Amino acid sequence: MSKSMSAVKQAIPAEIGGGTDVAMTEGGATAQAVAGRKILPVVEGVVLVAALIAPLVLQDYLTVFATRVIILALFALSFDLVWGYAGIMSFGQALFFGSAGYGVALLARDLDITNIFLVLPAGTLIGLTFALLLGGFLLLGRHPSSVIFVSLGTLTGSYAADRLARGWYYLGGQNGIPSISSMTLGGYEFSEGPAFYYLVLGILVVVYLLCRFLVRSQFGLALAGLRENEQRIAFFGYKAQHLKAIIFAIGGAIAGLAGSLYAFHEGFVWPNMVGVVVSTQVVLYVLFGGSGTLIGAVIGTVIVEGVSFWLSDNYRDIWPIILGVLLLLVILFRPLGLISFVLGERERVGSFGASRKETDKEKRHAAP
Amino acid sequence: MANAFVAAFEILSFGAIIVLIVLGLGIIASMMGIFNFAQGEFVLLGAYITYLAYAKGLPIWAGMVAAPFLVGALGFVLEALIIRRFYAAPIVAMLGTYALGLIIRESVRGLIGGFYLTVPEPIGGSIDIGTMHISAWRFTIIVITLLVMVGCYLLLSRTSFGLRMRATLENPSLARASGISTPLMYGATFAFGSALAGLAGALIVPVFSLYADLGIRFLIQGFVAVMVGGVGSFIGPVAGAGVIGTLSAALPWIMAPVVADVLVFVLAIAFIKFRPQGLIAGKGV
Repeated sequence: MSKSMSAVKQAIPAEIGGGTDVAMTEGGATAQAVAGRKILPVVEGVVLVAALIAPLVLQDYLTVFATRVIILALFALSFDLVWGYAGIMSFGQALFFGSAGYGVALLARDLDITNIFLVLPAGTLIGLTFALLLGGFLLLGRHPSSVIFVSLGTLTGSYAADRLARGWYYLGGQNGIPSISSMTLGGYEFSEGPAFYYLVLGILVVVYLLCRFLVRSQFGLALAGLRENEQRIAFFGYKAQHLKAIIFAIGGAIAGLAGSLYAFHEGFVWPNMVGVVVSTQVVLYVLFGGSGTLIGAVIGTVIVEGVSFWLSDNYRDIWPIILGVLLLLVILFRPLGLISFVLGERERVGSFGASRKETDKEKRHAAP
Repeated sequence: MANAFVAAFEILSFGAIIVLIVLGLGIIASMMGIFNFAQGEFVLLGAYITYLAYAKGLPIWAGMVAAPFLVGALGFVLEALIIRRFYAAPIVAMLGTYALGLIIRESVRGLIGGFYLTVPEPIGGSIDIGTMHISAWRFTIIVITLLVMVGCYLLLSRTSFGLRMRATLENPSLARASGISTPLMYGATFAFGSALAGLAGALIVPVFSLYADLGIRFLIQGFVAVMVGGVGSFIGPVAGAGVIGTLSAALPWIMAPVVADVLVFVLAIAFIKFRPQGLIAGKGV
């Protein structure tokens, strides 16, 4: 176990090309391990508590905004699974988000179906189906596809969907589908506000816990291996391409769930939602927060959306420029994202099953 | 007959524009292994410089001549400061160049506002052949594209600069051992690719007018063209650009434009899936 861990660590500087940063955080991780503290659960707990009390202290219009952020965080989680854990660069994650949004919008418009127990599974299923089709096509096959092909293929898929949505009259063309009726549960209508907020937060927490379980499982370990050194994982006998397709489909399903929530929350869908704009936005969230940690995706979403909401009143024009500069700085100097300021490399990768005491001991023995 | 001729001209001229845009992208992708997401913004900058020259009352052609040099210089600086750090990791390079592109695009958007600014054609009017009229400027673009293509080919295949460039691409350590300064060659290659993008932007701005998302429009088409043609040579991306440009201009004549638009991408991705090495494989020129 510890052998593969060190292999994982060795592979990281090679991938990122910024050796010094990694070395620094690694040193920090050792210090934390010796001190016997765990940062990750603390961070997760703080975020959860903040999210729980937010509607109580925020004004109504800010609660609506916070709901949107939570939905986008769910979406970011889907991208983080695919890129942060499995190392598949999906530049077209919005395809699953948006197609599910369009799907539930059509259900509501043409068939008058708004029951929450029908539309959310439907959206998830749409995301899953599209991800299976696209992922199956791009990832499976006799020859493993190159990373470049997969990333550009997903980007192209998203762009093509955008063009299709813009040109197809049935989908509303440029304007999209406006005024979608509210999501219902029996006679209750979910309109914007605290109820919707807590519904979305509940879904996020459940999905988050499922993802956390997934990435800490044997499957998650194999995924991390894929990200760090695909060939080695293949030599171990794993079907690397199948693993990738599975995680890609799971990511698509989560994106679909987020997309259907988004459609009902905003009350409309429009072509950008399947396109390159939203696809790259989610990449921004995850890179900022820190890919490869689930909480990093959530934090990144909250920070990027929060700051842009705050700045957009006064600095609407230059905010995207600032965003670009910050993104560049993060990529160059903090490839592991903002979360790496508080979280050590070892916690980020995780200890995978072995009890912490043991690994601590091993670590002390190993270090002279 | 006349209709068919006009259609053929339209297709040819759009194909030429795509080739012109893909040239720079292809050189950077083939020679350096980087898919430059900021390439669309280099095109935009070239267009913007041309517009600036026009707005300041200078002759338009002066802006068109200046654009490739200025954009090339910017490319050289950016390579030395930023792009250089990305060579080991292609995905990180995509993200980094995307961030660069975002900065450039939004800066230009801030400068021009949300408008569509028109720049007149330096060579206006039309060429009349019998009863048919074709735009003189579009014809000029085709001619310039051909000249640039031949020029690039000769530069890469016949000059010592081209030889050193290809040596750096094929075997960097051997190139270094032979006394070639590889960092300088990478810088020069990137600057050259950016300059071509600047030229493309300058030439197409009279046709498409200037707006902030001008570059984005062609970026994905360009990537697809490079992959269809095959990364690793000069001719591959050019051939890919010809195919993609011709297809995207020709298909709308025989089916609904929406379907044609999407079909081109689907066909291209399917083609790349089953022939990952592209139309023209192998490392020639």
